Amino acid sequence: MKTNVMLHLILKDWRLQRRMIVLTIVAGAAALAILLVGGQTPAVVGSVFFFVSMVFCACLLPMQNIVNERKKQTLSFVMSLPISSARYGAAKLVSTVGLFLIPWLALLGAALYVVLVRHSLPNGAIPVGLIIMNFPLIGFCLITGTALVAESEGWGTAAMAVVNSSYWLVWYLLVSHIPSLHETWSGPVAVWTPSVFKILGVEFAIIVLTLGATLFLQSRKRNFI
Amino acid sequence: MTDFAIELNGVCKSYPFFDLHNIDLRLQPGTIMGLIGPNGAGKSTTIRILMGLVHQDSGEVNVLGHSMPKGQIDAKWDIGFASEDMRLYDSMTLGWHIHFMKSIYASWDDAYSQLLLKRFGLNAEQKVKGLSHGQRVKASLLLVLARRPKLLVLDEPTTGLDPVARHEILRELTAVMVEDGRSILFSSHNTQDVEQISDQITFIDRGRIIDSMDKEIYLDRWRRLRLEVPDGVALPTLPGVIGVQKAGRLAVAIANAFEPHLPNAYETSGARVRAVENMTLEEIFVANVEHSREEVKA
Repeated sequence: MKTNVMLHLILKDWRLQRRMIVLTIVAGAAALAILLVGGQTPAVVGSVFFFVSMVFCACLLPMQNIVNERKKQTLSFVMSLPISSARYGAAKLVSTVGLFLIPWLALLGAALYVVLVRHSLPNGAIPVGLIIMNFPLIGFCLITGTALVAESEGWGTAAMAVVNSSYWLVWYLLVSHIPSLHETWSGPVAVWTPSVFKILGVEFAIIVLTLGATLFLQSRKRNFI
Repeated sequence: MTDFAIELNGVCKSYPFFDLHNIDLRLQPGTIMGLIGPNGAGKSTTIRILMGLVHQDSGEVNVLGHSMPKGQIDAKWDIGFASEDMRLYDSMTLGWHIHFMKSIYASWDDAYSQLLLKRFGLNAEQKVKGLSHGQRVKASLLLVLARRPKLLVLDEPTTGLDPVARHEILRELTAVMVEDGRSILFSSHNTQDVEQISDQITFIDRGRIIDSMDKEIYLDRWRRLRLEVPDGVALPTLPGVIGVQKAGRLAVAIANAFEPHLPNAYETSGARVRAVENMTLEEIFVANVEHSREEVKA
């Protein structure tokens, strides 16, 4: 009986990268613990560290899981298995995105708990928080897509540099062009304005387009190794 | 459906600085073919094409009856592939790799895997990063051989190994052939290794197959004739002789289609035949490559 090689590759990636996932969750949880202390300084420090823990994983995971496979020449070993380059690409994308979603969802849940149950931040911060939480997710998808399609450490690093320096620019543009965002974030109630839904929709579209383009480009490759 | 383990017909592949020209290659089931070529000859590209890792620009590739690259997934279930640049996961143990392969291949032979661990002197508990180069190569081969594949494709597997490790690996590859119907394609620029285990030899140079035939026929057909040429005697151009090098009164003629009458033909022309020598595969390889390059230039 022939086994599902894609599934085995996904499980293999989980075994190889689980330490980083656990580390990200621990770092994010520690940042939230700082935030729970209360006061403006812990709130700022905790929020920044929380964001940094996600960015750390968004950068490191694609490099470890995708670029290193080529750099450390383990790709030949994987490609000797009964799998095509298109299926390898799909398995790699599923495993990398899946691995990232574990800490992302866990920390999103933990952040909501901090806001809704512990009231460390006002409920008005939830829509903005969700928008900001999507930044590292989008950045991660862009780095992952570049690493997988370009197959080079150089392009992966370039994608990281561009993505990491764009977070604050995007945030600045959003706040300066959509005043309702910062008008409501310190309020006691979460305000879901049309602008918030538009931004979330655009973020979702970027994620879907990036992942779709990655799969498409990967399936068209004629020279894989 | 083809009867060959590997069949390449008119395969071409172009890169900016390298072309693979019209490759025709056939490997009969149950045989070992040595693919010999200098560095950059196109051995690895040919192997990557037949593994489906690189798509040919034109031509047909069939491996174990599967058209490549389309049928690569089905074909790879029965192919064991190892290359010189293949690495295992440094942070994991050899045992983890064995377990990983075992979970994929139903054909995994546990008893044989244990036997190979002993024969190769490997420890399943050891992490790959602690293995020497020779041990890593042996570990890669263990993972390939214990799957019991119908076809082994090995791209320079003995490069960088000490003589003992090379001997162990070649012995194991020869042992694999005891089982009916298994075939091996073995690329190397080490002619000694290829001569030791191959039934068939294929020479490749600058992206072209320059010769492909049974090893014994090769060794039988190629000869070196040492001649003494008195002044005033001109050596005739004889069929089957691909080159003559002269140094004063002495000359060396290389024949790639030696016939017993060749020495007589030289004697008749006035030259004296001092010796007719067999050539090693390395000497045949070098002479063949040089002859092919001269032909391409001409």
